Amino acid sequence: MSEVVRVEEVGFSYPVAEPRRGRPFALGGLSFTVAEGEILGVLGPNSAGKTTLIRLLTKILAPTRGTIEVDGSSIQDLSRAELARRIAVVPQDVPQGLPFTVEHLVLMGRYPHAPRRFFETAEDLAIARAAMAATGVLDLADTPVRTLSGGERQRVVLARALAQRPRLLILDEPTAHLDLRYQVECVALLRRVNREQGTTVLLVSHDLNLAGELCDRLLLLTDGRIARLGRPEDVLEEALLASVYGCAVAVEKSPATGRPVVQVSWPTGDGRAASPRV
Amino acid sequence: MTRVDRLVLVLGLLGVALLAAVILAVFVGSARLSPLAVIQALTGGAGAGSTESVVVLSLRLPRIAAAALAGGALAVAGVGFQALTRNPLAEPAVLGVSSGAAFGVVIAQLVGSGGAVVDTLKTTAFGFGGALVAGAAVYLIASVHGGFPVQTLLLSGVIVGIFFASAVTVVTSLVDINRLGGIVHWLLGNIAPLPGPSLLIFTGLAALGFTLIVSQARELNVLALGEEAALQLGVNAERLKLQVFVAAALLTSSVVAFSGPIGFVGLIVPHILRMLLGPDNRLLVPTAMVGGGIFLLLADTAARNVVAPAELSVGVITSFFGAPFFVYLLRTRRGVL
Amino acid sequence: MPGVIRSLGRGSLLGAVVVLLAVTPIAALTLVDMLGREVTLPASPRRIVSLVPSATELIFALGGEDRLVGRTDYCDYPPAAKSKPSVGGMITPSLETLVALRPDLVLVTTSGNREETFTKLKQIGIPVYAIHAHRVAEMLDVTARLGELTGRQAAVATLVAEVERRLRAVAEAVRPYPRPRVLYVLWPDPLLVPARDAIVTELIGLAGGESITAGERGDYPRFSIEAAVARAPEVILLARHGTGTGPMARDRWDRLTSLPAVKARRIHPVDGNFMHRYGPRVVDGVERLARVIHPEAFR
Repeated sequence: MSEVVRVEEVGFSYPVAEPRRGRPFALGGLSFTVAEGEILGVLGPNSAGKTTLIRLLTKILAPTRGTIEVDGSSIQDLSRAELARRIAVVPQDVPQGLPFTVEHLVLMGRYPHAPRRFFETAEDLAIARAAMAATGVLDLADTPVRTLSGGERQRVVLARALAQRPRLLILDEPTAHLDLRYQVECVALLRRVNREQGTTVLLVSHDLNLAGELCDRLLLLTDGRIARLGRPEDVLEEALLASVYGCAVAVEKSPATGRPVVQVSWPTGDGRAASPRV
Repeated sequence: MTRVDRLVLVLGLLGVALLAAVILAVFVGSARLSPLAVIQALTGGAGAGSTESVVVLSLRLPRIAAAALAGGALAVAGVGFQALTRNPLAEPAVLGVSSGAAFGVVIAQLVGSGGAVVDTLKTTAFGFGGALVAGAAVYLIASVHGGFPVQTLLLSGVIVGIFFASAVTVVTSLVDINRLGGIVHWLLGNIAPLPGPSLLIFTGLAALGFTLIVSQARELNVLALGEEAALQLGVNAERLKLQVFVAAALLTSSVVAFSGPIGFVGLIVPHILRMLLGPDNRLLVPTAMVGGGIFLLLADTAARNVVAPAELSVGVITSFFGAPFFVYLLRTRRGVL
Repeated sequence: MPGVIRSLGRGSLLGAVVVLLAVTPIAALTLVDMLGREVTLPASPRRIVSLVPSATELIFALGGEDRLVGRTDYCDYPPAAKSKPSVGGMITPSLETLVALRPDLVLVTTSGNREETFTKLKQIGIPVYAIHAHRVAEMLDVTARLGELTGRQAAVATLVAEVERRLRAVAEAVRPYPRPRVLYVLWPDPLLVPARDAIVTELIGLAGGESITAGERGDYPRFSIEAAVARAPEVILLARHGTGTGPMARDRWDRLTSLPAVKARRIHPVDGNFMHRYGPRVVDGVERLARVIHPEAFR
């Protein structure tokens, strides 16, 4: 199985002009690969480096050391359009008040494939419509995006990323605004896309259980370095999670799927943590 | 219908409207020529040195051309600048370069006419010089390491604009009372009949600015998603911003240098077009070129006819309709980018 | 001891009364300026500040400059005027400098000075006298008033007689000739022309021409080039402003080939300083205009 992404000894730090906390934020030497066809989850507390990692992978930021390769080519050698043909990002949301229709927005996903063209082709339109159908927003095609609900917008943005026909789909907190039903649909959709089209998926999420359920492997980041990289049952481990997140958890095995399920020990309010159900 | 068809249809309709406006403008004027006289002048039937010929060919037609060009240039600059800053209230004047150009022209008028031939060109050259200085200042103030943030661009443009506007006020307060009237009137914005060479230069500059913006129209659509998202979709956002900024500055400075500062066209025309055609810049930029021309041509025709033989500054007419329009926009919050 | 103090006190009181009486004006002067406002002065003004270049010129022509203590930057004629201290521009004079000159009268005009300046001066308590002149007759009226203000009434008659003599000479010289249509260009772009209330309109008439914009309203309104072309002027006069500037550009006029003025190549620059002010040089202005409009009368 080939690698879609290879990250080798990548380090990064923001320029000193923006100190964020006591010491400036920095990514230590990260090394990992993303195998073709896998679903990789990226986890970690806030400021662990998840968003920075996405920005490095999409050339928004340049690493201060180390290399990143996409499909065997160094990311520095790929133009933005070439990179966008391979990697699509589903951000958390779109800017407020966008006047474009759903169809117009999804069509923007076709831009990297023919940047010089002024208008999209009939083929582009067909691909866009297929993507809209896949995410269930086809009947909203002529609706302005700004009138949609949060959940509908999320699906539109996902459709745009799918229209890009990428090798790697990066999702940044995809279920953040979705209610339960749409979370379930999102998981189903991602699985379908992964299996039917062989799209590799990189999922950044706060939702440990979603990640544990959906992903083939998990990458746990803390303070800019890799705490562990492995299968969900190896990464979602009580002691490790407690040390990374700084709170007590209990991990069980789901009776239905055999995947790990994380339970947080919520505080009782009188200073003691409730003892987790054993 | 496909986007291409729609664009062609709208451009066709606007083209007809422009033609109608031109015909109207060529037949009315304070010289009160009969329609027959105008036709004779147009077809070469009147003598070369006759009043009709001079009025129609040397005064009305050049002025009509200048008005259409200036209107189109300002409208295109408006579309580009609004897309660039993702702000529907942005106007080319906010760029700061029009105040710089105004300052340059006021200095030129103050320094007095040198040789006879270079008079108009010198004024224009000074105007461009002022615009260049202002534009460079805006760029330098706004750019940070590796980028050109849009919010800073807006603020920087406003600051530079205020600075040069104050400089203009200083100059007018110091100037000889006899010149004051001329300079004050110029600052209101006027379309003058430009001589042939000037018209050619103006057309060339407008065409250049238009091309720079229209070629990026699709990218400007993508930019609306936010810079980070646009970068991730393959758009070279930094280059795009710089190119559109330069083009908008070029268009605005040309208009100021040749016709003085004319406001509101770059705000009103894009909004009306957006309400009619939607937010796709690939439709807006070309139609703005024609629609802006129609708008300013009609305004200028009104300006030179309503109080004939005296004239109003065209800037007065555009402000007269512009200010209430602006209020309407704010109140209804329609015409969002 | 108390007795000494009391007598000292009485003495001071007496002294104070004497001093007060000395400075209290006994004879007050009430004048009416050209806006019809009453201006009350304690005595004939001795320290006049002129914010009007035309008035400055007239004061010097009348020989009353010893009563002039201040001028504006634009009061540049006669050259001796520059030796008087300047308070700045006509639109924004420095009130501080003006007050420091301790004037007892300030001359202002409605065309050129600002309303705000009038008001501020009145607030401070400095008497303000307004003048204006749109016609030669009014200019003569201004001359008479300035003569009264500066105590040079005797010089007025001589000056007026001189002005009238020279104007008559010009009228005689140009009388036999037909009066050409004249376009006077105050500013070319946008086109500003003299209308009813501009003094140069009358000057053109006195010089034997007819200004094609004489009937328009206002003093220097905007005018459309088209209408100017339609009125077919036979002479075009281009006003030069300030000092040391070259002749105004002619190319924009040469293109208007239907104009008799262009065909006969009768486009001439004229010095605006003689045409727009209403001082004594108005007569020079008329003479210069006559020479340009009717060169044949002065060979």
